[in-house]
Amino acid sequence: MAEQNEIKVEVKNLNFYYGNYHLLKNINLYFKRNSVCTLLGPSGCGKSTFLRTLNRMNDYTEGAKLTGEVLIDGKNIYDKSVDVVELRRNIGMVFQSPNPFPKSIFDNIAFGLKIHGIKNREFIVERVEKCLKYAGLYDEVKDKLHKSAFSLSGGQQQRLCIARAIATNPSILLMDEPTAYLDPASASIILDLITTFKKYYTIIIVSHNIQQAGRISDYSGFFLDGELIEFDEAGNFFTRPKDKRTENFITSRY
Amino acid sequence: MAELANIKKDDDSMPIFPINRGYIKRKKFYNGIAVFFAVMAFIIGAFPVFHIIYKAVALGHKYLNWRFISTLPTGFPIGAQGGILNAIIGDVYLIVIASIFAIPLGIGSGLYLSLFGKKRTNTFLRLLNELMIGIPSVVWGIVGFYVFSTNAGLGFHFGFSALAGGLTLGFIMTPIIALLTEQAVNQIPAGYIEGALAMGATKWQATKSVIMKAALGGIFTGILLGIMNIIGQTAPLLFTNYYNTGLPTGITGPGGAVGDLAMLIFIYIHEPSRILHIKAEAASVVLLFFIFAVDLGLRLINYLTRKFL
Ligand SMILES: Nc1ncnc2c1ncn2[C@@H]1O[C@H](COP(=O)(O)OP(=O)(O)OP(=O)(O)O)[C@@H](O)[C@H]1O
Ligand SMILES: [Mg+2]
Repeated sequence: MAEQNEIKVEVKNLNFYYGNYHLLKNINLYFKRNSVCTLLGPSGCGKSTFLRTLNRMNDYTEGAKLTGEVLIDGKNIYDKSVDVVELRRNIGMVFQSPNPFPKSIFDNIAFGLKIHGIKNREFIVERVEKCLKYAGLYDEVKDKLHKSAFSLSGGQQQRLCIARAIATNPSILLMDEPTAYLDPASASIILDLITTFKKYYTIIIVSHNIQQAGRISDYSGFFLDGELIEFDEAGNFFTRPKDKRTENFITSRY
Repeated sequence: MAELANIKKDDDSMPIFPINRGYIKRKKFYNGIAVFFAVMAFIIGAFPVFHIIYKAVALGHKYLNWRFISTLPTGFPIGAQGGILNAIIGDVYLIVIASIFAIPLGIGSGLYLSLFGKKRTNTFLRLLNELMIGIPSVVWGIVGFYVFSTNAGLGFHFGFSALAGGLTLGFIMTPIIALLTEQAVNQIPAGYIEGALAMGATKWQATKSVIMKAALGGIFTGILLGIMNIIGQTAPLLFTNYYNTGLPTGITGPGGAVGDLAMLIFIYIHEPSRILHIKAEAASVVLLFFIFAVDLGLRLINYLTRKFL
């Protein structure tokens, strides 16, 4: 076990239900500060749902129920006293399918700053530019910052969403298959970014691509039917998995 | 290609099925029939409209001039001379008052129904809203009379006035705007709202800056439908505003009543005067143009807000 102050997020006895459907079963794991953790598992096993429990995006889902604890910096985010809006400002999220706002490219990124009460135009312009550069999108869009975000390709939209997520300086970054829509070259850019990003963020990524996961992970977890089968340092996870089912999965037998 | 090569030989036998030319021909024939009926339906629907416009223009053309729409009615019976300015000005009063009341209330209710309320109460409220749309306008007229116009008992004692009439028309507009707003918001992809919330936006911030924008087209349709609906109404005005042959001196109390195109047509048609009958026809052409102008105006505002917001 890692030392307490190294742990950014800790999940304890987490159970999640859609109505009567018991989806996530007694999940226990932790995410270390400034590390990259990938979550793997076959389609439908509950990876996205798990990711969404970490910033309480399931709060509005009809019939969703949750027990257990998610501790961020030692504080249970499901505690009554926690302000969800405050919580989410500290957590950036990139969704499985790109979901830019129906606004200009510029405004998509500026949105996060504006809702945080930042009005300084110069600061915003500079920040937008920086985020786009970080996400490897700047060169492609620098001449059409005020065009609609929908004029971008799917992969460009996803990179815009990544730029948007980091604009507000979160300390945690949740990414649900951020490279699913990208060509290998752009995916590679993102993967490199993620490795750089961990200086600033604790990064939790859902991935379907075992090679990509192996390349960037410090930790990895394997989900199957809503259970966390294995969770370990990436070195062990990918080369000496303890569970047969993990081994089968990473050698692509699911 | 690589995958194709991997398919085993015995999986390779995709059975080829014969193309059924007769079937395709039949479907093309059905398609032709469907198009024919669609065109017929349009003609049957559009014919009366064009006929009415034709008749109205044919009868009233001699009054379709600038003087007619820019002067007040005079003579005996009143309207035998002069124009219909009182009704045009009155309609502007009524629409503005109804809109000031109904647009915020309707949009607010629609947003509440789609984003904020609890599921169970919303089902009930939605039913109530649909019921309100179904209430005959004459009933709104009576409600409006008791709430706004009557000078006895409870209510606001606005008298027969533009304010009482406009607010009553607002009652008719509100549930239409609420319904269309709710539907527009429900059609917004969940990703927009989730994206905004995940950034730490409050629900209101998400609504204001992302949802409203995406739903704007639908909301405008609601406003448009609402206004179209009230322009032609006479029943609600019978009990709350009635009709003024001159210009109003206020919006409540004595002198607060306004003219109205639909009421003007209604009244002129009931007068035993050939001139007034013809003027009613001319006025209905003006009413059509009025509706057309409002429609164009709103569409323009819609276009501009989408472009520059
Ligand atoms: N709102 C919902 N209501 C009910 N069931 C849901 C809901 N959302 C997801 N589920 C179910 O929960 C299960 C897990 O979904 P989830 O999206 O977490 O899977 P996933 O592991 O992310 O899959 P993928 O890799 O395909 O994205 C699925 O069986 C899905 O049908
Ligand atoms: Mg998923």
